[in-house]
Amino acid sequence: MTGETNSNRKKAPVFSLDSWAVILALALSGAIWIGWIKHVPW
Amino acid sequence: MSSAIAVARPVSEGFWKRGVRLIPGLLLLIAVGYAGKIIERSIATYGKAHHLTLPNIEYVLWAIVIGLLIANTVGVPKLFQAGIATYEFWLKTGIVLLGSRFLLGDVAKLGGVSLVLVAVEIAASLAFMTALGRAFRLKPKLTTLLAVGSSICGVSAIIATKGAIDADDEDASYAIAAILSLGAVSLFIFPLVGHWLHLSDQSYGLWAGLGVDNTAEAVAAGTLYSDAAGKVAVLAKTARNAMIGFVVLGYAIHWARKERNEEVSNKAAFLWRKFPKFVLGFLLISGIATAHVFSKDQLVSLANLSRWAFLLTFAGVGLRTNIGELGKQGWRPFFVGAIGEVVIAFLTLGLVFGADRLLR
Repeated sequence: MTGETNSNRKKAPVFSLDSWAVILALALSGAIWIGWIKHVPW
Repeated sequence: MSSAIAVARPVSEGFWKRGVRLIPGLLLLIAVGYAGKIIERSIATYGKAHHLTLPNIEYVLWAIVIGLLIANTVGVPKLFQAGIATYEFWLKTGIVLLGSRFLLGDVAKLGGVSLVLVAVEIAASLAFMTALGRAFRLKPKLTTLLAVGSSICGVSAIIATKGAIDADDEDASYAIAAILSLGAVSLFIFPLVGHWLHLSDQSYGLWAGLGVDNTAEAVAAGTLYSDAAGKVAVLAKTARNAMIGFVVLGYAIHWARKERNEEVSNKAAFLWRKFPKFVLGFLLISGIATAHVFSKDQLVSLANLSRWAFLLTFAGVGLRTNIGELGKQGWRPFFVGAIGEVVIAFLTLGLVFGADRLLR
């Protein structure tokens, strides 16, 4: 019973939504700074 | 709200399967958001071609309106829901990138007395709008959004604060609509009052920068008076904008504390868990940009990336906003916004007059 409950219990994600947003934003900023992304039009 | 976010949900299905499930909704977000951008550009082009000064209604509001129309008429099929639910992820990514547009160094360019006026304007406006919201019995988070929208920088401040205090989509839609429509009115009224009072370029520019909420409208209201007034308006407005991080940080801590349950034993850990980490990302990017790590072109690219993220975000906000819920709020938020705008305009005009006499 306990084993079944444990297997059904959802694991908490390693990174929160906030963290993923910061990681993506920093990665994009880094790509722009390095020059991998030359220009983002609007 | 966060439980509805597909990208953060720990599910047993595979990474690729999850990714495929998001595609229809993401495509709808792009289509709705891009339609908003096209409408904004078309109105600007029409105004330019016919030499008309039309209010700049930003793509953000159009995206919300189109999304609202779709969601509250034909409805959104279940197939699109998972992708639409990613809008909060784009909101947070966009806010972090938005940090590149708020250089702390801009504050210093304005000069001592004007900086004091900016600080007084922000503090007085926040206090007044909060009191007004309470008097009209608005929802506390809607009051917070209206307060930051009218005291700092319109849509950007509302966007950043919405994420930081986890406000409802309906509240954010309402606050953005109120601030943008009232900002459009001030675009016409400020130059008329400025000419009527024979304000100098410096005084008028400072007034426009302090009194008009949205950056686009503040710059337009200043430039409509004169080029010199436009430049002062830009400086005053950017100084206000630069304060956004600190104000959002303050509100994030305030709401994290306020929503704390009584039985929480480790308050510091709870506050950290509730604290929106992307606010720190925003401050980090703002600090890096202030340190001139990025070139001017790179800053433009970062700002454009944040706009693309907000384009997706507000298409999602519109698609998830229930008009019935908006209707429940009635006209009170608009009254609060309108009264606040008029009082803040008089307050900032008084501040500018006072400073002008002091410096003579």
